[in-house]
Amino acid sequence: MSLVTDLCGEYPDSFIKLDISNNPNYVFENDSSYSMRALFDLEGNKVFVNSFVECEHYVSGGWGFSPDIMNEIFFQDILFYGILLLLFLSFFKSKLKFIQKLWN
Amino acid sequence: MELKHIFKAFLIVLLLTLPWFNSQLDNGVAAAKVSQENVQFYEINPCKASLFDFLKANSESIYQDHFKFRFDNKSSIKCFGRVTGVTVSTSNLTTAFYISLGTNSFINLLFQGFIWIILFSFIPKNKDQNNKKIELRLHNLTLVLVSYLFTFSIYSESKFYEKNFYIFDFYDIDSYIPIFFSFLLLLKIFVESFTERSDVVINYLPYLFLFSALFSGFNINFLSMLFIYFGIQSLFFSKDSTLLNKTFNKVFLILSIWWIFNSTGSYSFNLTKFRGFSSSIYEFNANLFWVIYFFLLLKGIQFIYINLKEKFNIDSFTQNLSITSSALLLISYIGSNFPIINFFNYYFLGLQRLGVELQNPFLFDEYSVKIAWRGISPSAETIGEFYGICLIFLLFNIVKTQKLNFLKITGTLSSALGLYFSDNRTVIVLVFSIIIIYLFLLNNEFQFKKKFIGSFLIFFLFLSLILLTVGSSNFTLSYQFVSESLIRKANDYQFDSIYSSYLTLLNNNFENSTFYSYFFSFFSSIAYFLNRSEMWGVFFSRYNPTFMEFLFGSGPLNFGQLYGEVVINKTEYCILTTKFICTETFLLPHSSFLSYLLFFGIVPLTLLVLTFLLFLYKNRKNYQFVLISTYLFINIFKNDSLNYFTPFCFYAFIMLILNSRFRSKKFY
Repeated sequence: MSLVTDLCGEYPDSFIKLDISNNPNYVFENDSSYSMRALFDLEGNKVFVNSFVECEHYVSGGWGFSPDIMNEIFFQDILFYGILLLLFLSFFKSKLKFIQKLWN
Repeated sequence: MELKHIFKAFLIVLLLTLPWFNSQLDNGVAAAKVSQENVQFYEINPCKASLFDFLKANSESIYQDHFKFRFDNKSSIKCFGRVTGVTVSTSNLTTAFYISLGTNSFINLLFQGFIWIILFSFIPKNKDQNNKKIELRLHNLTLVLVSYLFTFSIYSESKFYEKNFYIFDFYDIDSYIPIFFSFLLLLKIFVESFTERSDVVINYLPYLFLFSALFSGFNINFLSMLFIYFGIQSLFFSKDSTLLNKTFNKVFLILSIWWIFNSTGSYSFNLTKFRGFSSSIYEFNANLFWVIYFFLLLKGIQFIYINLKEKFNIDSFTQNLSITSSALLLISYIGSNFPIINFFNYYFLGLQRLGVELQNPFLFDEYSVKIAWRGISPSAETIGEFYGICLIFLLFNIVKTQKLNFLKITGTLSSALGLYFSDNRTVIVLVFSIIIIYLFLLNNEFQFKKKFIGSFLIFFLFLSLILLTVGSSNFTLSYQFVSESLIRKANDYQFDSIYSSYLTLLNNNFENSTFYSYFFSFFSSIAYFLNRSEMWGVFFSRYNPTFMEFLFGSGPLNFGQLYGEVVINKTEYCILTTKFICTETFLLPHSSFLSYLLFFGIVPLTLLVLTFLLFLYKNRKNYQFVLISTYLFINIFKNDSLNYFTPFCFYAFIMLILNSRFRSKKFY
């Protein structure tokens, strides 16, 4: 799943990507069927979006999860790579002499 | 002490302490002291102060019992080891502080797993490492299969895990990948560590009662991963393909298909103390997991037993029973007096629930009835059974060796004290009876007259003990009263016009005075004297099987259907401390026999009982085996023992080992 679908939900069938960045006067229209979501930037600033188009635009521009969730994802990634490294070492410990020495 | 052991001990100390120093308080800011009026600091600063910061500011929380440390598995990784909140609760003029500690489930999996592996590595390795005692086939494939199975369990019980995981998308397969690899890593190291220690490991079985090894926030027992691994291994070997095994596999397969496709509903079950050995939901996927789990667990136990039975050393086993009973009592007592130690016991020993908070194990209520004290065990009765076993084995050992040493004395004293604290009166009666019978049977060359006097004395003592336990007043009640106690209780709990199928059957039989009603009346009288009328009555008011479910059950280790299908009146559980305190509960069956009737149905259960009787008959010359088997059977009948992972595996192993190795001869 992409970050957009994670944060904004599934792409609507009728979705067409507009070139909003080059149109400074563009006004996002509220979608009454879309539940409001909060997006955050790296500094923790918050913005509420009221349509998929608006949400997709912000997420493409670097807005995302709250800092807490970003932190969690970051830590989970670190742990995951740590696990992979340990798994690699445990499977190849017989090939790596210094690991074998430490293991035994 | 070897350098390696010192390094390991240092690593353990580091692992045990380091996470609780994880603080994010700004420089110069110290954690605040909590008071009844003010816990503001912790409301403003959740996940900032470490446990160490909190203890530094509130040093009295280490020993004062109104501080209660609780785990918060749904906290973030960043919050691990930090105080996520403090709440104040006031009732009956006493104030209690509940300190919530961040224990992220994902970290728990790795952290607890590694600690248990390091502790396990203290068991001495085999002297000859080249001569592998357990041959492993398709090792890596098995590791992957077991890891996949346990990862699937998280998917199948997602409703339970939703309450325990901080961020986890249960519908996204990518979320499961780190969990899968975590299982793979832990299992790989654990299995390899186990095989390197296979010479002695079977004698360390008693330690199962000390280390429940349950991951906090998971419905998974760490040790079960090993059994499941060997369960799969056993399928790759032809060693155990006897006719009996083949038949068992086929019958289990047929029953499994029935159980899985019969699980059409969706009923949740609040696991409480059955966590780690029961399904949290009765659903297709969950039932599929627990059916496979139970089958592989049995195969795993059998595989380990077949491969390691020759390594069983009864003296070493008894010595470990002694050490475990002393350690259990000591740890339990310290835990009950120091709230923080109670929390650490829960976390590092992997307990089903927090240890008891009642500081004085000698306490009686206002009616002079002993208050059961369970220590760190999930149930007072179960731990009473364990202490009873310790006493029986120690008795056999002391009589055989005619020697006493410090370990045996402390083991005996701890077990006797622990048994008294647990207030398991059935076990007290059984242990006394076994001691008396054993001492009489010791001399095989009895004269007839001596035998007669002996038998009379045994009968008299046994009767006195039963009278003491059950209470003489209960024997003055009419048979009709006691024989209808179960059905009366079952009907008391029946709600509105909703009747469970089994209660309807019972009522019809009693109305028509059929043969079955006489049989059930007898069962009811036993229940009455065992003080089980209420618990078993509740079971029958809930038990709602179809005809096929009555015959073959609804699947192993799943209470969901029982507790979700039929609505009954509110059940209350009252405990006597200084006065009656009643709380609403769902009252567990308190009989492994009834639980297994629900799981497997009457046909397999009858076969199991017959097999047990056959075991007894084959071992009739070995009265030590007969005594222990009878002891276990009675306890299983009146307690939930087999619904806990530890007693299930422990009893299975000792029955298998004692039956095969010591048939027709004393094992002491």
